[in-house]
Amino acid sequence: MTAAVEFRDVRKSFGPTEVIRGVDLTIDAGEIHAVIGPNGAGKSTLFNLATGRYHVSRGRIALNGEDITNRAPHNIYRKGLSRSFQVTNIFARMSVFENVRCGVLWNLGYRYKFWQFVNRRRDLTERTEEILEQTGLTTRRGVPAGLLSYSDQRALEIAITIAGGAGVVLLDEPTSGMSRAETEQAVALIRKISETRTMVIVEHDMGVVFDLADRISVLVYGQVIATGAPEEIRANASVQEAYLGTEAS
Amino acid sequence: MTAPLARQSGIGALMVAIIIVLPLIIDSSFALTVMSQIGVAIIFALAFNMLLGQGGMLSFGHAVYFGLAGFATAHVLNGMHSGGFPYIPVTVIPLVGGIAGLFFGILIGFVSTRRAGTAFAMISLGFAELATGLTLILVFFFGGEEGVQTDRWVREEWFGITYGQDIQVYYLIAAWCVLAGIAMFALTRTPFGRMSNAVRDNPERVQFIGYSTHRVRWLAFMLSSFFAGLAGALHAVRVEHVGFETVGLGQSAVILIMVYIGGTGHFAGPILGAILITLLNAYLSDISHAWFLYLGLIFVIIVMFAPGGLAGLIMMHDPIRRAGTRLLATLVPSYGAALGASLVALIGVIGLIEMVYFLSTGVTVETTTTLYGIAIDTVDFWPWLVCAALGAAGGYGCKLTYPRMAESYSNAIHEARARMAR
Repeated sequence: MTAAVEFRDVRKSFGPTEVIRGVDLTIDAGEIHAVIGPNGAGKSTLFNLATGRYHVSRGRIALNGEDITNRAPHNIYRKGLSRSFQVTNIFARMSVFENVRCGVLWNLGYRYKFWQFVNRRRDLTERTEEILEQTGLTTRRGVPAGLLSYSDQRALEIAITIAGGAGVVLLDEPTSGMSRAETEQAVALIRKISETRTMVIVEHDMGVVFDLADRISVLVYGQVIATGAPEEIRANASVQEAYLGTEAS
Repeated sequence: MTAPLARQSGIGALMVAIIIVLPLIIDSSFALTVMSQIGVAIIFALAFNMLLGQGGMLSFGHAVYFGLAGFATAHVLNGMHSGGFPYIPVTVIPLVGGIAGLFFGILIGFVSTRRAGTAFAMISLGFAELATGLTLILVFFFGGEEGVQTDRWVREEWFGITYGQDIQVYYLIAAWCVLAGIAMFALTRTPFGRMSNAVRDNPERVQFIGYSTHRVRWLAFMLSSFFAGLAGALHAVRVEHVGFETVGLGQSAVILIMVYIGGTGHFAGPILGAILITLLNAYLSDISHAWFLYLGLIFVIIVMFAPGGLAGLIMMHDPIRRAGTRLLATLVPSYGAALGASLVALIGVIGLIEMVYFLSTGVTVETTTTLYGIAIDTVDFWPWLVCAALGAAGGYGCKLTYPRMAESYSNAIHEARARMAR
């Protein structure tokens, strides 16, 4: 079985500072893989490298066995890798429905067509409604996205990310800034959508991480110091020292 | 879902009826010329707004596609007269202009749409200067400073139409205006149209849902150039002459100002702008030499106080109208007072400007002129005093009435929102 995502000795420098210092990481197909680590460890940078937002300085990233290193973001997306953003990144002036529909368009084959009406295409509407239903946004469909509550915007962020049906989904801090109740909802949502997808999440809330993840990787100063099942990570001495220990104190 | 569609088609049908009947009611060749001008301006303005309003691209050089298409059309017409070009009915010749616009849009757009924002604006400015420069260099094509003369009367077409009469040209422009308007409106409802808005609002996110922002912008640029070219061809047919100024910065600035004053955020905005500015230009430029100064003033005021343009001003009252005409009526007294004060101030200021203009541009030593139909002598003291007093009084009135107007609007909109929520 080929890995869903594979990082091989990936390095990234901003000027003279190396932020990612040789990451080797394998995400298995179908798993929920959490990436944890202290602030500034390079978790979001790793996502930005995999999705083409940043250029990789050295190394190789593969999606389902195919090299995607330094491809353009839209090309990587088309190969089946989708991502959400830590800071909500939606189309504020459009309605919730339209936001999700934009996410559906490409993978249903609508591309740049300018000779078909979007609201006359049944497959488009049905798929959009399905995603709204899944993410609990159906009642908010007509609301301009900019006017949504924060937690609804986070849900919309995820809805846009999964709308195209990408096989691998990267979620960047999906529960950041949420209340306990909202977090629980978000976790339930992530669990539901992970049933048919490979997921990688960056998350600060350890409760969420140990609750959701099949495997966890710990990133410290641009290097993966451990990868394993939640209980292995909990028991790992160097992880406790580098990360969990400081968190507990 | 069918109700708004029915309403839209109703409004559309009404507009078409007005377009058909208007020249029959108003029997004036000048008015006919102005109406034809408006038709061309509407197509061009809507095309420009595909970039600015729909795609978020500010171009300072969109007249390039309008003008180049105009030249191409003039040459095709001349070629048909000399037999060097196969015959095409003049009725469909706007398509020639459209294709010319599309051609240059594909070429130049590929380069300029690689960048967005300020860089895009600067590149568009560069190409505008380039095109203006070329008009004076490639004299065989652009005819230098004289431009290219042409004749739209090629031969008799369907129903004996020759385009010898202005009324026939008016209906030609009107028909293409309606067609192009419908087509451009339809485009906003397509996958391309939706993604064009998405790129405008959040270009970064668009890349992560599978779209190349360059491709989306480029396509918008091509289609916009096509319609700009269509307008340019109709301009060439209407005037039977294309000059170097049609590709120039002045022409590009006028369309930008038109669209912005009309409102970029609503599909009908550019139509409003095209009608209003063309009308003002036609009727005011005869009355006042300071017309461009007023146009500049209107533009600055819109940019500063109503960035949504006229369409934005109208649309912000839509929730109140929907909540009930009674609520809308509550606005009338305060709006009326503000309007009255503004008018008084305007009369005063315009009077002063006109007198200054008269003195500074007067070729003779003449000092008597007419202002608002009143004979005055600018060496007298009283016209200056009266105008200054009106300006000051009006200005003070504005200061008093504008906060009231804002307050009554905000009360009404709150009431409207509250009623909607119920």
